[in-house]
Amino acid sequence: MSLMSPGNDTVIIGIGEYKVGSMPMASIGLGSCVGLVIHDRKIGSGALVHIMLPSSQGKTDRPGKYADTAIAVLIKELTSNGSSQDNLIAKIAGGSAMFKTFSGNLNIGERNVEVIRKLLKEKNIPLKGEDVGGCVGRTIFYYPKENGKLTIKRGDGTLAEL
Amino acid sequence: MKLTHGQTDALQELGNIGAAHAATTLSTMLSANVSMSVPEIKVIDISEIYKYVGDEIAALVLFQVNGEVKQGGYLLLYVAKSSVIRLTNAMLGLTDMERELDEMDESALLEVGNIMVSAFLDGTAGLLNIIMLPSPPQLVIDMPHAAIESIIASQDSIDIDEVVLFKTEMVSDAHNIQSSIFLFPNHPMLEDIIRRLEDILNPSM
Repeated sequence: MSLMSPGNDTVIIGIGEYKVGSMPMASIGLGSCVGLVIHDRKIGSGALVHIMLPSSQGKTDRPGKYADTAIAVLIKELTSNGSSQDNLIAKIAGGSAMFKTFSGNLNIGERNVEVIRKLLKEKNIPLKGEDVGGCVGRTIFYYPKENGKLTIKRGDGTLAEL
Repeated sequence: MKLTHGQTDALQELGNIGAAHAATTLSTMLSANVSMSVPEIKVIDISEIYKYVGDEIAALVLFQVNGEVKQGGYLLLYVAKSSVIRLTNAMLGLTDMERELDEMDESALLEVGNIMVSAFLDGTAGLLNIIMLPSPPQLVIDMPHAAIESIIASQDSIDIDEVVLFKTEMVSDAHNIQSSIFLFPNHPMLEDIIRRLEDILNPSM
């Protein structure tokens, strides 16, 4: 299991959080939330954010929680960290629909993915890989120093790599 | 949000009563002793939920709580994956531990969830003097964190930054079955429950 288990140096990104750096990062059990990686191909570092909702509707206290503020803050921090926007690429995982019959926004995962795709396009950040939708949970590991590799462990036991 | 000691104690008592009812029904179904833990009650920031519910696959039977409290929250029966087959075997009178889960197991899980959660709500409603009804159950066999975060994200018009976790473990040593009941009350329901409990504990106020 060593391959897919977080090592001691892996930083776990909880719901609504983000980190920028070159250390391995992980998000545990993504459901309708989306793990978005923005990776700098040149300098081997990047960021992972655990997005919960599509729109901040003006709120600023948890930028990582919403797609719009998350993408803005990631680009800002990566560029102030020495990244050129031309070198950035993105990968996403998550956005599933775990339930079928409860009331509420059951398609929230799909909406998260749509909004993230649209915003990345507006910012000219190419989306180089995605593992989204369906009805499974996903745990993801992002390795900035290994060419931005993103490994995915799905709730049905299957594995993937982006 | 912060809960006072008094409020935590009151909720713990409520959890004790609900869980005792649920444990009794489980014990009857299994014809074996079921022990339960003291309920754990915590206010948790959404960014830390993964520390309490992880990505180890489990069977989750989920209910919305309705009744006198509208959109009251969610109740969840959690059965560790390794316990699922032992639980359904005990209920179905089977002995093969290596078999794959099938529709019979899913029906059995929904049934045990229904019975235990109804018992939990009966017990707490008796104390609070309000009626809380579970919705039809939904079964998910997947990562618990993925299920919980999806519930939180799908709350219409409520933007949630923290959740109240309410957890009791139930263990049957005879069958080596581990399960837990989680309650995630929405804010209005939580406030309503706390107010009623305070009235009961301090009738003069």
